[in-house]
Parts: sequence; structure tokens; C-alpha cells
Amino acid sequence: MMIHCVSIFFRLKRERGLIEIKQYICIGCPVGCPLQLEHEKGQIKEVSGYECNRGAKYARQEFTDPRRSMSTTVPVSGALRQRLPVKVSGAIHKDRILEAARNIHELQVTAPVEMGQVLIKDFLGEKGIDVVACRSMKRVADTMTTFRTKKLGRNKTGKPKK
Amino acid sequence: MLGRVEKKYGVVVVGGGPAGMGAALGARDHGEDKVLILDREPEAGGILLQCIHSGFGMHYFREELTGPEYAERFLQKVIDHDVDVLPGSYVSGVVVDSGGSKKVRIMSEAHGLITVETKSVVLAMGCRERTRGAVRIPGTRPSGILTAGLAQKFVNLKGYLPGKRIAILGSGDIGLIMARRLTLEGCHVEGVFELMPYSNGLTRNVVQCLEDFDIPLYLSTTVACIHGRDRIEKITVAPVNADLKPDMSRAWDVPCDTLLISVGLIPENELTQNLGIGLDVVTGGPLVSSTLETSMPGMFACGNVLHVHDLVDYVTREALLAGRFAGEWAKGVRRPKDNIRLVPGDNVRYCVPHTLSPEREHTIHLRCKAAMKPCKIKVGNLMEKKLRFVFPAEMIMFKIKPDLLDKFHDDTLRIDILPLEKGERVD
Repeated sequence: MMIHCVSIFFRLKRERGLIEIKQYICIGCPVGCPLQLEHEKGQIKEVSGYECNRGAKYARQEFTDPRRSMSTTVPVSGALRQRLPVKVSGAIHKDRILEAARNIHELQVTAPVEMGQVLIKDFLGEKGIDVVACRSMKRVADTMTTFRTKKLGRNKTGKPKK
Repeated sequence: MLGRVEKKYGVVVVGGGPAGMGAALGARDHGEDKVLILDREPEAGGILLQCIHSGFGMHYFREELTGPEYAERFLQKVIDHDVDVLPGSYVSGVVVDSGGSKKVRIMSEAHGLITVETKSVVLAMGCRERTRGAVRIPGTRPSGILTAGLAQKFVNLKGYLPGKRIAILGSGDIGLIMARRLTLEGCHVEGVFELMPYSNGLTRNVVQCLEDFDIPLYLSTTVACIHGRDRIEKITVAPVNADLKPDMSRAWDVPCDTLLISVGLIPENELTQNLGIGLDVVTGGPLVSSTLETSMPGMFACGNVLHVHDLVDYVTREALLAGRFAGEWAKGVRRPKDNIRLVPGDNVRYCVPHTLSPEREHTIHLRCKAAMKPCKIKVGNLMEKKLRFVFPAEMIMFKIKPDLLDKFHDDTLRIDILPLEKGERVD
């Protein structure tokens, strides 16, 4: 009886437009359950449409604080490649991704770089979230010299061997 | 060691991507001291180097890594295990003599033309993308049409943008990831067009690469014509009918300066074919036994050259296994031949490996033809496994225990994916 009353009350609210519905597609697995999240002024009332608990959790997370991991590349000079892959070490709010990309793209990096090297600390003012290099890059000039020394029989200063 | 090459090896691995590195590590872990990896690119790592997004390594490293991180960690491990890695080298052929020893002919940037002798070879050349020719799009042949993975290489390694207004044909994962990647780099993505009524990529990628950036996904739609003389100027797209033919009465034009094509991958098996090794027409990869050995004794295959995988972690697992058997072969271990043939049945497109032996536990990889939910996998009369769902884009894996095969006295084992019968439920 109690439950019945609640559901009538709920339906009335929905009809008056007090309850809003947000639609999501669950990303937990390839089934991609269509999720509905009902909320009243930001207060989550009900999540439906999921086949497993991952769906419920995902919809709540997406509604309260949708976060994404992010990676891009920055120009690097003096290396074998022209671009250095970088990532943001923690997930950032999804609305800040384009802003983040613009900020990171201003970077100019010179080889050598080590994997995990911090390029921007406390990115976008978020403590503990950094922009880090995803790989090491040697200076090409260095590797080229050793290669040439070997081939031409020269020592490191570039003078011919006696 | 990086760049070193000797005259004789136990195992030579062709390809330095995740499969090649995994195979080398597998061989090394099972006691083979002399292992060489050959890679044609200037550095080993394969396709991982250009896959800068995260989502790799959840199974193997137990953390979420980007492609370059996965590659670097793995390469470090390989070099720490004293494996020789020779980048900038191209394998032009393998000669097998009557005694079974193999001579690998290599064109190397640093060493010139050389021949290396080995006992076993692991083929780990990976796969390549299907191109415009494979899907036969009508129209002119201007510049600005490239595969999604090539665009990925241009953007992520070389620092070139392929264009400013991008259209993408095919909703494979690489296409979806490139839609996001190019948006982040300041391009405008006009839309992703997919022939089938469902996306071929992971739901996760549809949500995070398209919806987050308001990029439209047109299902049951294809590119019907390409326009432009020197550079692509626009494409005509049209919804398709039930027979997948474009309905030109509902067609519309999309102006663009670049068309990316993401319509599937093909194992790269020219070397395999030249050796006369038997191929599976469905997977496009070689036929392999349960030890991942091809029809040529002492030649093994793993990774995307065998069949296209979903995750690099699965490639690594398969490669470690292939490496182990290649290492054993090099040390003179000869296992009894497989005596059970696996046959794909209802709703099964292919299964790998192609044969089994009752002496070991096996992991079977298979792909279904059509989505089904819920359903069950039936392996002959030996076992049944209920599943909540199967999708063509998602590889299915399960184990067969040796005690089950011991009771099996036939020579062919059929695998079917069937709908559940009345009263059956998935737990």
C-alpha cells in the first residue's frame, strides 16, 4: 500500500514536469543498455533500463560528475618522431576536454624526454592531476653521431681515427 | 640488445609489435636463450606507438595505459630478457632446408643484406587496413582519401593534419577514435557513416568519441559517390535499403576535404603465402594447430596476423603461448600431432586454433556471425556454456579442459552458438 502511494505520487510529479529524465547509453559492455535517470532539481530519483549493476552505477556517475581520461600529442624537437604523446594523469570533467587540449597544445618539448616525465603540474588547477609524457624519446642527434662514428671509423669528437 | 644481430638463433620473430614482443618473451621464459626480433619500422612497438589513447593493458599490466606506454614497458622487458631487437629490417623470405633448419633473409638498414639461421620462426606481422578499393566506392579518384590508421600515423607520429573538414566511412574503433582525435586537433568532423544498422566499434567509443563532441553517427548509411578533381570536395551519402544498396532518392551531399575509411582489417600474410603455408579463407590468417604452429613445421603464428583481435592484452596472451611452443621446438621438443579438428557450426564465423589435442587445456577464440542474446555455445556433446550475449565485434573466448577431450573419440568437433531452449536461463 505504502509503495503504491509513493508510485502514484511519483507519477503525478512526473506528469507535472517536476521530474526530468536524462538518457544515457551504458558503456560497461557491448550490450549498451539504454538508461533513463529521473531526477528532481538534480536529486536522483530513479535509474532504470539497465541489465546489470554497472549500468546503474554508470548513470549515477555520468549525472553527478562525468569524467574522461584524455591524451593528445605535442610537438617535440630533436627526436626521431615529430610528436610526443602525452596524457592527463587523472580523469578530468568532460566539458573541459577541449579547453585541456588547447592548453596542452601550447607546449613545446625538446628531446630527450623520459616516460612519465611531468610536463605540466596540477593541470587546470586540479591538485595531483598532471600532464605527463607517455614515452621516452632520445635525442636523434646523439644516436645519429654514434651511428656515423661507427660507420666512418671516427671517434666521438668527429676527428678521423689514427 | 637493441641493434645487435648474430648468425644463429633458436627463435626468430618477424614483427616487433605486441605479438612479436610477446612471442620473444614467451620463448625466452621457456629457456630459449637466442631470440631475435625483426621489425621494418625504425623502432619496435608496432601499431601501439600511434595508438595514443588509453585503454591498453588492463589484463596484462593490471592498469590502464596508453599505447606508447604499453609498447615501451614491454620493449624494456624484452630487452631486459636479453632478446636481440633489430628495427629497420625487412624480411624478404625464409628458406627451409630439408633438415628443417630455416634461413631468414633480411634487408637491414644497419647491416645490409644478411641471412640468419634459426630453428623456429614466429610470424607476427600483424594486419593492415582495408582500403577504398576493398569497398568499391564510385566516383573520382582525388587526393584526401585515406584509411583511418594512416591518418592516425600522420597525426600522432608525423605531426601532419590530413585536412580540416573530415568525413568518416565505417564505425570501426579506429574511425571513432580518429573522429575524437581530429576534433581535439581543431578539425571539424562532419559525421561517421556506417553501412550496418549497428556500430562496429565499442559502445564506449561511440559515447566518448562521438556523443561527447556532438559528432553525428549515421547508421544504415554509406558513401555512394566521391566528388572532386584534384582534391576531394564533397561526398554523396545515401541511406541503404534492406539489401545494403544505397537508396539514391534519399541521398544528400556532404562537403569535406578528407574522407577517412575505417572498414576493417586484413591479416598481412604475403610472407606466409610465399612460403606455401595453408591459410584460413575466413580469418585471412594461417591455419594453426593447438600449439599455434602453421602447416609448416617449426613456423608459428600469433597476434593479428593469425586473426584480428579486439584487445592488445589478448594478443599478448596468445603471443606468449606461441613463443613458448616456438622455444620448445627450438630445443627439440616434438609434441604429438593434434587429432581433433574444430569445425565452425551454426552462427560461428571462425574458430582459432583449427585443431586440438587432448593432452592440454585449450583456449578457443571464436567470432559469431550475428548478434544473439541470450544464447549458449555448444561444443559437440562435450560442453555447453550459456552467455548473456554474443556480438560479431566481440571475440568469444572459452577454455576446454583436457579431461573433457579425453572422453572424446571422434576426429571432428563442431562448435555452435544456439538460442536458449525453453526454461533455460543464464545465471
